Order: sequence, then structure tokens, then C-alpha cells
Amino acid sequence: MTAAVLNGETNGLASSSKLEFYLADTSRFESIDKILDRRGPWTNELFQGGQGTKDFLRNQSKILVIGAGGLGCEILQNLALSGFNDIHVIDMDTIDISNLNRQFLFRESDVGKSKALVAAEFVMKRVPGVKVTPYHGKIQDHPITFYEQFNIVVAGLDSIPARRWINATLVQMAQEDEEKIIPLVDGGTEGFKGQARVILPTVTSCYECSIDMLTPPTAFPICTIANTPRLPEHCIEWASVLEWPKVHKDKKLDTDDPDHIEWLYQQASARAAQFKIEGVTWALTQGVVKNIIPAIASTNAIIAASCCNEALKIATACAPYLDNYMMYVGNDSVYTYTFEYEKRPECPVCGGESLTADVGRDWTLEKFIETLIARQDLQISKPSLSYSRGALFWPSPPDVFEATRPNLDRLLIDLLGEEEGVVVTDPSMPVSVNISLNYV
Amino acid sequence: MDDSIDVTQATTGTTEIPSYRPDAKTRRYDRQLRLWASAGQRSLESARVLLVGSDATGCQALKNLVLPGISQFTILSPNLTTSQDVATNFFLHPDSVGFPIAEESVKYLKELNPAVEGSSRVEDPASLVSTNADFFTAFTLIIASNIEPSLELQIADLLWEASLTVGGPEIPLIAIRNSGFVGRVEIQLREHSVVDTHPDTTHTLRLDAPFPSLQQHARSLDLSSMDSMEHSHVPWVVLLVRAASLWKESHGGNLPETSEEKLAFKDLLRKDKVKGDEENYEEALAQAYRVWNPSEVPWEVRQLLDDESVMNISSSSKNLQLLLHTLSQYIVAPPHLPPTSPSLPDMHSSTTSYVQLQNLYKKEYQSDLARFKTLLAEILLRIGLEEGTVSDEEIESFVKNVGGVGIIKGRSLRESKEGRGLLATEIDGFDESDLSATCFAMHLALLASERFFVAHRRWPGTKARDDMAQDNREVEEIVKGVLGGKIQGAEIPDVFVESIAEVTRGGFGTLPTTAAFLGGVVAQEAIKLVTNQYTPLDNTVVINLVKSESAKFKF
Repeated sequence: MTAAVLNGETNGLASSSKLEFYLADTSRFESIDKILDRRGPWTNELFQGGQGTKDFLRNQSKILVIGAGGLGCEILQNLALSGFNDIHVIDMDTIDISNLNRQFLFRESDVGKSKALVAAEFVMKRVPGVKVTPYHGKIQDHPITFYEQFNIVVAGLDSIPARRWINATLVQMAQEDEEKIIPLVDGGTEGFKGQARVILPTVTSCYECSIDMLTPPTAFPICTIANTPRLPEHCIEWASVLEWPKVHKDKKLDTDDPDHIEWLYQQASARAAQFKIEGVTWALTQGVVKNIIPAIASTNAIIAASCCNEALKIATACAPYLDNYMMYVGNDSVYTYTFEYEKRPECPVCGGESLTADVGRDWTLEKFIETLIARQDLQISKPSLSYSRGALFWPSPPDVFEATRPNLDRLLIDLLGEEEGVVVTDPSMPVSVNISLNYV
Repeated sequence: MDDSIDVTQATTGTTEIPSYRPDAKTRRYDRQLRLWASAGQRSLESARVLLVGSDATGCQALKNLVLPGISQFTILSPNLTTSQDVATNFFLHPDSVGFPIAEESVKYLKELNPAVEGSSRVEDPASLVSTNADFFTAFTLIIASNIEPSLELQIADLLWEASLTVGGPEIPLIAIRNSGFVGRVEIQLREHSVVDTHPDTTHTLRLDAPFPSLQQHARSLDLSSMDSMEHSHVPWVVLLVRAASLWKESHGGNLPETSEEKLAFKDLLRKDKVKGDEENYEEALAQAYRVWNPSEVPWEVRQLLDDESVMNISSSSKNLQLLLHTLSQYIVAPPHLPPTSPSLPDMHSSTTSYVQLQNLYKKEYQSDLARFKTLLAEILLRIGLEEGTVSDEEIESFVKNVGGVGIIKGRSLRESKEGRGLLATEIDGFDESDLSATCFAMHLALLASERFFVAHRRWPGTKARDDMAQDNREVEEIVKGVLGGKIQGAEIPDVFVESIAEVTRGGFGTLPTTAAFLGGVVAQEAIKLVTNQYTPLDNTVVINLVKSESAKFKF
């Protein structure tokens, strides 16, 4: 009741002293304190509860949020309200009008500004007492020591390479020093569906362990695009992949530039008309070239809430955390599936075993590279291959490319002999992978 | 604002290509239009949503509805803002303390989307229910977030009664209850139509029963005279229609039935291959199972055709019931099959063969659509409705996607809560090793806590720490009463004791993360209900955020 009296009395006060009263009044945490003061039936023995737990959460823990987009906005809100008071956030993007249907910390007047900066400022204004430190830039630009300062990392990313990178970075950190196991809570959504998972580097399966679960991006065979288009998508791909570089030479296609989309749309429409294919639209053109994934506020809310709920449980031990994967599907009623995703022994990031590839004796290096690109468990697109004598095939830099290109037509067995394997690196793969060959 | 122009309406070959560069509104909503398209957006933009209660969970749900652009929302609550409210609810500020919470939350929620209207009503909902029922029935959908159990039932009763009168408003109620890590969402709806469930596929390829032009096209091909390029680009649909037709000729008009016959069918198909790696043949072999999947009306839809409300239509029937009734009449005539869909999946083929095949389907669709429309017009005339009652857009979307509709018949919240629905069945079938056991036990813990509240005017777990054990025991006794001795033994199973303890531990306080999770679930369901797209929950889901799991029930 004291709080209510206090509220009544403060009503006439100036805003600043009202805020002081509010911040001094720890009874405001009544709801969350119930689960931080009291043990539940499933709570771990390690749970202390009470002041020590609250002090760690509110005054000592430091948490990093990667991404200030659809999930990131929600994550920042939830962490701030849950009592994490030292929050850091990284995002390299600026605000676009198409973000506003879900990224609720942004307004029309913010379009063009840094997501990380605007989000941090908004949360600090709305939830006084919370410190949010923004970083406008790429996660790869920070040294590994930057990541060591955090107790937990929560990732709400739409980029797979970025996820692979932070996962590999945290796993490597834990491999080098087992004191440095920083939990990674990762979320992702698409339409009415999404997933949340907890990764304890080296202890549980990691992001790379499940890389083969990803549906590879729809790739249309180049011969279909060039010769036998059937769908409007084929005409759009023709415009962006073949026509754009032919006409615009070195000018890079910017899929965020409406004039560029307009040009592709016009080209694709003309080609579609020529082949009597129907259905090329502006929105479809944009969707295909930007690989747009439908996104709504409600799904992001569910997944971000789940991620932050896990972060709270990890930070306070007030309840067991997710072990280790939850899927949410809202298309057909409400469905969740919670399970333990197991470690993959040959995971290039956290597994100990090396990968093998079955190859034919009549295979050229080019054929072998094609099969590597098709592998679900690698998810690579422009691999560089090396062996004991150096570069086997590198797509760049140009001089190495020229020097190694002749190898593409040579037989694998002639290049490597019976015993030797290859080392593969790729821009989208965070580590290099040793692959031993098995001639069949 | 359509995310794709319908292929049958798109104009091709025009020299002037019109630009459809999207306007600001379309750009703002782009990522959601790719899910529910302009039809769904229109429904959303005419939806009026009432929130009764003003806690963080309710406001989170509203946030997720204001952002995609509902027409209007109202918050009804007589309470003044406390610092406890501010600490859990992002749509309040310390400055709000002492002011009406409905007004304060509306102010912060409205910022999210300038296109959405918001208003507050600072009044006691209980008295409003008895004095002004019209206030409630003016909304499209009502969310009751953690309000007193008796008030929740009063509102539920009001809406249920209103929906029983012919032509009365059918307003779904979404009721939320949460305590700590435990949350529950219940939906009361009398009857709900789903016009597009968004099934994985909408193709009706008619491989088993090809329409005449398709059959003729497939049989007219002279595979043996084709060059290898042409041969390897015949679409698999054509290959299968042809093979099925040939098979029928030599098997007394029947398609392959036994597994031996199915293998023989595939061998027959394989015989026509001229080269080992013809992709179109590989696709045909992989898709061969479609030949023995009959093209008839899908089972779920057939059930709907037999429903009373579809068989006996009147001028007050819903459009979906009128369309389904028309479908039931449509299939009376041979070939007794649903209308052909104009959509065709992509397949290995030359452009000309593909476009030619697509045109066959489109032509058939157009003629089926015309027959369907004539039939519908006759039916409308017979029951005294105007021809335009069902819009062309609705008819076309139904005909294109006959398998993607549904009707859900719900139960009143009172019936579910009082255990007159399927609760008894769930109790009888209870098994502690089921994945849903904990969530089921949590539902009973919440149900019992509501009865506890009615008796004590406070929630379990809201006194000092020492009283938790006493509250637990009392809730356990209520749960025992609900179970009615159906679960053997003097003691209730551990999972009930544990679930009650976890619910009491939360003391019916709102955790920000639980609020955000439930707010997301509620908004997804609200969107599905308002747009009549995707299948909504019927009728209860329990979310256990200790174990990050959920289970749904129909009580």
C-alpha cells in the first residue's frame, strides 16, 4: 500500500523529482521479484535468490544484443524491463520505411538514421535507469577481446554469415579458455514461424552444428534463366544476374535503390512479355532480388520474448534454461516443439572429427567444387581450396585465380594423389575446413 | 497493393509497361503484405479492437496490432498507474504514475502508427457490462487481459448471447491469464470462417482425371519422333497424364492400385526415356504418386459440405457457407470434381511447352469458374439474395483454392471453464508421461486459482512468503475437486503439485518477458481471426516458460 500512497503524493511533483521517487522505489519490481525471491519446483539448487541474485542481474551483469532490427527492438525492450541495466547493442543498418511495421522503437522521422543509436536512445528515454551502449557497425570489426566482457550474448540477426561468425567466435573463445563460456541466445523468424535456441559454446550443439537444417536460398539454374524461363522469377533473375552487369558494367546493383529495382522491373517485364510469361510485378521484383522474408511484429515478439526469458534464467538461475531449441509455428493454430539439438561430431566449428567427401576417380577439380557448393552441411558459395603445396583453386585475388584456374579441368586424383585432402575456406564460413577424400 | 498480380489477370505483350512502384503505405507494410496480401490488410484496417484491463500483456498484444495497422483500439480500465505498472509495461513512463493507465498507455501506443486511432475509457468495466452492452458489441474483437474471473465470464456471456441472435455480431473474445512463467490464452468464438488457410500447395493437377483438352494434349504428343532436346523438355505433368491414360486403357479404366501396379506404372514411364539423365522423367517418377491421389474434394472440405449450416442455407448465411453450398451442387454434375485451379508448379520444361500447358489449365479454370458463378447466381436468387452478395474477388479466390478453406465451431468460455466441455475427456485421458501433461496441470492450476480468487478476492501467492504453502494447499484442494477422484490415489500426481507451486510462485504478477510472449501469441491469433486467413487457435493454449514449451487443448 505504501507505493500507492507514494504515487498519490508524487502526482503534483515536477517530473524530475517524480522520476527520483520512481527510481528510489524498489517495490516497483514487485512482479519480477516474486520469481527472484522465491524458488520454484523446477529451480536449480544453485539458485540463491534474493538480494544477491537481484544485485548480479541489475548491477553486475553486462549483456550484448546483436541486431537492432525486428528482433533487436523487442529484445532491447524486454531486457531493459527485466532488469538488465548494462546493455550493449550492435547493428550496421540504417532505418528504412519498411522496418516500421515491426521495429517499434523507430518513427518515420528516424528513416535513414542508425538503428543501434536510435534504439538505444529510445530505450533509455522510456526506461529510466537503464544504460544502453550502441555500436553502429559490423560485428566483425570488433576484436575478440570486445566480446569477452559480456556475460551473455543475445542475437536477433537476419544474416546467416553474421550468425556463423559470432557463433564461431564464442566457441573459439571457450575452446581456448574454458572459463570463458559465454552463452549465446539466438532467435530467428519468418512469417508466422520462428525459433529460439540457447548455445553454450563447447557444451551444447552450436549454430554450425545445425547449418544443414537451413533451406538453401532458391537458386535458379543459369540455363533456365538464360534459355527456358517459365516463371516471372526467372525473368527477374535474368534481369538482375545477366542483364544488369552486361548493361551497367562495373556499376554495382543496389537493391535498396528504387531506381535500380525499377530498371530490373522494366527489363523483366519486357522479357516476360516476349515469352508470354505473366506475373512480373514491382513487389515481386523487389522480393526476388532482395530475397525478402515476410516479417511481422507478433512473431518477433514471441521469439524475442523467448530469447530474453532464457537470458533472464541464465543470469539468475531462477528456472532451468532452454535445452536447447524451441520452434514456434503459428500458421495452423499454435504449435511449439522443444527439443535438444545434438552436437554434430564433424561440425567444423565445435566438432573434433574431420569431414570426408566421397569422390569419383574421374572427377575434375571443378566437379568436386560443384559438389562442395551443393553440400547442405557446408553452405558455401565461393570456396577457396588449398593443399600441402599451396593454393589449389582460389577465386581471388585475380593473379592467384589466373594461376590456379587451369587446375579446374584437371583430375582430382592427379592433383592430390590417393592420400591427400583439401582445406576449404569461404567468405560465408567462419572457419577453414579440412576435408579428406574417399575415392569410390 | 497485391503482392503479386494474378496470372490470369496480368496483361502481357503491351508495349507500355506500367510502373507499380509502391507508395509510402505499401512500403511501410511490405513485409506483412507478403503474408496476407491486400485482402487481409483491408480487413485489418477495418478492425476495431477493445482491450479490457491495462496490464503489460494486453498492451504488448495491442502493440503488435497497432503496428500492422488496425483501424482503431480502445483501452478500458478505471485504474490509475502505479510504479509497479510502469516497471513491467513499456507503454508507460514514470511520469504516468498517478494518471489513468488507459489514457497513458493509449498515448504511448498511438505513437507506433499514425494511421491508427486510439482511445481510452476510464470506467469500471463491470458496471459498463451491465449498463451499456452496446459499447462492447461495437468492436470487431475483444481482448481481456488478466481481468477478474467473474468479469471475464460476464463479457464472454454478453458476446456469446449476442452471437446467438440471427445476424447478430460475432465478436471473438481472447482471454489472457498469466502468473510468473506461466501463461494461458483462451479464445471464445461461436463460428469462424477461414477463407485461406495458406496450404502448402494449391495445385489441382487432375492427373488421374484430366479434363478433355489436357488429355488430348498429352495423347497427341509423338514422343518417338521428337529430337532429344524436345524429348527432355516435355513437362512431367504431361508425361504423367499420358502414362496414366495409357495405363487406364490397358487396365479396364483403372489406375494403379497395388504396390506392384505402381511399380509397373513407373517402369512403363521409364521405358519412354531416351537418355539416362532426362530431368523431366526424373521429376515425373518422383511425382508419380500424384496419379493415384484422387482429385476429388479434400476430406476436410467434404466434412464442411455435410454441415447443417452449409446444407441448409438462407439469406442470413455467411459467404463461405454460400460458396460451400454452391460447391456441393457443383460436384453433383460429372466429373464430380472441384473446379480446376489455374496454378501450375514450376517444372523442367521449355518455355513454350510450359506456357502452353499453363494456358490449358487457365482456360479450364475460366470455364469452371463461369459454371460455378452461374450456379451461385441461381442459388442466390433462390434464397432471395442479390447477385453481388458474394464479390467476384471472393468467388475467384475460393474457386482457385478450394482446399484452403475451413470453418471452426467454438464453445462458450463459460462452458469450457465450468468443465462442461471437453475438460472431463482430457482428465479421463490424462497421462503423466504425455508431453502436454505439465501444461494441462498448469491449466488446472490457473482454473483453480480463479476459483480461489472468487472466494478470497486475492490471487494465490500474493501474501507474504510464508503463506505460499497455505495457498498451495488450498489450490491443490480445488484441483482435487475438479479432478473429481478421476485420477487415482489420495494424492494428486506430482506434476499437479509442481504446476500449482510454480503458478503460486508467480503470484499472478506479470513478467515483462511473459507479457511479450503472450502479447505476440494473442496478436497472431487476432490477426488470423480478423483477416480470416490462416487457422486460429480453438480454444486454449498454455505456455510454460519454465520449460519453454506449450500445449493446446479444446476444452
